[in-house]
Amino acid sequence: MRHSARLLSATLLFAVVGPPEGGHYVRALHYVRTLHAQQNFVPKKPTDADWAAVAKLPDFTGVWEATFGGGGRGGRGRAGGAPAFPAGPQLTPAYIEKRRANQAKGAEDSQAANCLPPGMPGIMGQPYPMEFLLTPGLVTIVIEAYSQVRHIYTDGRPLPGDPDPKFFGTSIGRWENGTLVAETVGFSPATDLVANTPHSDKMKIVERFTLADPDTMTIETTVTDPEALTAPYTTTRTLRRHRAWTIAEYICEENNRNSVDQNGKAGINIKK
Amino acid sequence: MNTRRFRELVIGSIVVGGLAIGSVELSAHHSFAAFDMSKEQTITGVVSRFDWTNPHTFIWVDVTNEKGVVETWAIEGMSPNYLGRRGWSKNSVKPGDKITVSIRPLKEGKTGGMFIRAQIGDRVLMPTGAPTDER
Repeated sequence: MRHSARLLSATLLFAVVGPPEGGHYVRALHYVRTLHAQQNFVPKKPTDADWAAVAKLPDFTGVWEATFGGGGRGGRGRAGGAPAFPAGPQLTPAYIEKRRANQAKGAEDSQAANCLPPGMPGIMGQPYPMEFLLTPGLVTIVIEAYSQVRHIYTDGRPLPGDPDPKFFGTSIGRWENGTLVAETVGFSPATDLVANTPHSDKMKIVERFTLADPDTMTIETTVTDPEALTAPYTTTRTLRRHRAWTIAEYICEENNRNSVDQNGKAGINIKK
Repeated sequence: MNTRRFRELVIGSIVVGGLAIGSVELSAHHSFAAFDMSKEQTITGVVSRFDWTNPHTFIWVDVTNEKGVVETWAIEGMSPNYLGRRGWSKNSVKPGDKITVSIRPLKEGKTGGMFIRAQIGDRVLMPTGAPTDER
């Protein structure tokens, strides 16, 4: 409703004062269309056929945990002689400099020590399991680490043109021959591409979720960023399904005795 | 040997073979900066409390030092979520248990450290291993 009002007022403005000149007009029109595309996307009520279609999708149900301890450092497993820790991302000179500057600060720890969850892509590499929920037009990933949730919309909505920056970005997905392909844009500057390495607001992440065998999932993650990376950065993670597991709560503030201060100094509180 | 047992053995060997990667797991929430990772120290005492809490478990141990003074030691371990899938429970350590714990001690001589392994009676507690399927 609010969106409709904004759309109407933008249209009225054009009618009264006339369209802005040249590029302004194109940008204004793009703004109105973007508003229309993202904010006004209302999923249809699922039909019986929509639910039946979910039953035909690959069985992602249940709780999955990364093998080899999760990592989050791009472990490719050992298959085919691939190295367990492949080369890191190929950074542009400007981002090599940013990483060097971050490393030079010598921070002993990251904000995770203060219970701030990592964003994408780091949140997908934690040593804790995650659960996949498939419903019409949506894949929900319940992430045990830091009790987080990701939503991947598969209902045909477009990616936002001017997304708000989020820790996990904004994700849409589609099914391609049994593989869930998720595209994510719009990441908070508080998140890292990899440790000590920031990303630009143009970072995009494509994840391909595939069942390698009935209880094994692979997630191939490709990060592109025209400002930070000279080449796509691809890592692959393998997860194993644990049918009997349930996702446990993870309230990081429950009894967090670790900390890091503004100067990057790590601390621990051992007062009983 | 049935298939599942074999699979567990294989996974177990991979986990043991990948102990170096185990350190990556522990670093998920915080770094090792507070601990002296070059040292291993063993303390023996009596458990006064066991925090089965996120993001870390803590075993609180009363240790009598060489001067006869009782000191409180705080031993940080992995989370209940992680340990609970590897054979631990909230009852694995109880107040009153006589415990011997190996730790990476805190720097600056503070009375605490990071859990490596422990023994209570004839029970050995380890922080890692293959996850169990039942949980």
